[in-house]
Amino acid sequence: MAKSVYVIRKADVDDIRGISELLVRLKKLNGEFDPMFKVVSNVIEKAESYARETMGSDKDIVLVAKVEKKIVGLIKAVLKDRRFYEPVIQGIIVDLYVLPENRRGKLGEDLLNSMMNALKQRGVEIVTAEFPTQNTLAINFYQKQGFRALVSTFAKTFPNDLILKKSDY
Amino acid sequence: MSKDERKDSSKVSELAIKYASFYGGKVEIAPKVPVRDLSDFSVWYTPGVAAVSSAIYKDKSLSFEYTGRRNTIAIITDGSRVLGLGNIGPEAATPVMEGKSLIFKFLGGIDAIPLSIGVHKIDEIIQFVKALEPAFAGINLEDISSPKCFEILDVLRKSLDIPVWHDDQQGTAGVTLAGLINALKLTGRSLNGTQIVLYGAGAANIATARLLIVAGCDPGDIILLDSKGILHPERDDIDELSVKHKTKYDLAIKTNGNRKSGGLSEALNGADVLIAASHPGPSAFDKDLILTMNKEPIVFLLANPVPELWPSEAEQNGAKVVATGRSDFPNQVNNSLLFPAIFRGVLDVRARAITDEMVIAASEEIAKFAEESGLSSTHILPTMLDLEVYARVASKVGEKAIELGLARKNLSTDELRLTASRIIKRSRKFMSSMIENKLIEIPEGS
Repeated sequence: MAKSVYVIRKADVDDIRGISELLVRLKKLNGEFDPMFKVVSNVIEKAESYARETMGSDKDIVLVAKVEKKIVGLIKAVLKDRRFYEPVIQGIIVDLYVLPENRRGKLGEDLLNSMMNALKQRGVEIVTAEFPTQNTLAINFYQKQGFRALVSTFAKTFPNDLILKKSDY
Repeated sequence: MSKDERKDSSKVSELAIKYASFYGGKVEIAPKVPVRDLSDFSVWYTPGVAAVSSAIYKDKSLSFEYTGRRNTIAIITDGSRVLGLGNIGPEAATPVMEGKSLIFKFLGGIDAIPLSIGVHKIDEIIQFVKALEPAFAGINLEDISSPKCFEILDVLRKSLDIPVWHDDQQGTAGVTLAGLINALKLTGRSLNGTQIVLYGAGAANIATARLLIVAGCDPGDIILLDSKGILHPERDDIDELSVKHKTKYDLAIKTNGNRKSGGLSEALNGADVLIAASHPGPSAFDKDLILTMNKEPIVFLLANPVPELWPSEAEQNGAKVVATGRSDFPNQVNNSLLFPAIFRGVLDVRARAITDEMVIAASEEIAKFAEESGLSSTHILPTMLDLEVYARVASKVGEKAIELGLARKNLSTDELRLTASRIIKRSRKFMSSMIENKLIEIPEGS
């Protein structure tokens, strides 16, 4: 297949549908790594409202990669203040997804670099990325881009047969 | 029982149980040195053997020269996908591995030790096989389930300094390619530009797709179908495949240049070749779909024990060449044509690996062998009765290993052929002699 030429730009409201489709794929992919990321039954609806909220938020940045009219990749970061630590202004990459057919090039890397630029312009000094712990592809990708592990998230659900005791809290 | 009765499928199961009990397995270790009296052991064992061990300690490559390693391979299974029986476990897999060992010995003159192992995780199997390397000249992986078989083979091929082979993948792919080469000749086609549909995405067809690409097929001309339909990058489960079945995912991205979607009917429309390795028939799919293929299509129906369609059904719908996995129809795609010869070839030159190029060289020689006795729509492949094919294919494999710089030992083409032929003939003579001398008994009434 001939290599497609893509353009990376800031997302706008016309992209909501395309972004939602990719988000659904991303969230389902997360579920492949860990059952704690099993998607909700109305994930499509959720993805669309999440995309709309993102468009209206000044704390969110979303970039899309397009081949002609089709969105083939997206990256979303959220701005946050680190209350206790320096550097203070943090950009958290919460979503990064590229369609399989467009993965073999440098699109993921280009999306990340474009986002790093956008974050730098917003005064961000530290960038972090979130993804399932079992996603070794993401680990390798971010390590290759100079990231290192910073925070660990551990998870536990309540057992079904848990007997509730009266709580004083 | 007569030869005809032994070929009767309804009788063979009964016979297999009876003989399994009678013989207690199919292979044994036999000495290859004379023991005239106990003093011989001072040479074969202590103290003499210490000199041999010391020499190998100084130069490990001598283990191929001074021990049976040169002609010994391991057949490894975890019993997770045995024949059509599924995950029956290592103990139940052993009769199959013993049968394989017998074929290795009879057709290739190779000592193949059946090892049914009690570990099933990818890393555990890889570690086990790695630990065996010092004692063996090759590894034959067998009846290990998909998709783990792909990763195990790929990792071991890269990490071991001896050849590793997974017969369910490479064996079937190699013989399929051999048959396809001749079928394409018969129908005036070539690998390049032929539209090929692979129905079923198990170990055999995935390996066939990979081998066809190395052999010269444009990946875009290949369409692969699994139980969910045509593989393509936009499929809903594509991300799942990227995590759970990397080999299939890789093919989903590479193949199907026209980005067809749907099922077999969409795939076959305008195709030249169908290679079905899906699930047993008959009527595994609608026979009329053959009518939608291009003129004089080639149809391989490889499911066992019953092909996806009866060959006559495919022929009635226009198939020019039909092959199956069965010996009672023409054009049997039979792994046994390849694996004894592949290993004979690599052992004779002490090769470090079996590459796709070596498999293709073997496939081409098998095809050439069949062509020499006249190609026809019912004769595109040799049969196991063509005993000369093994030495010929082995010599081509050895030649290719030398050409690729993977051989530890250089032999001329003639030497390769003679060596293979001598070893294989000795093996058959050994068998005849054992029967003649009643060391292999024939049960009463047989």
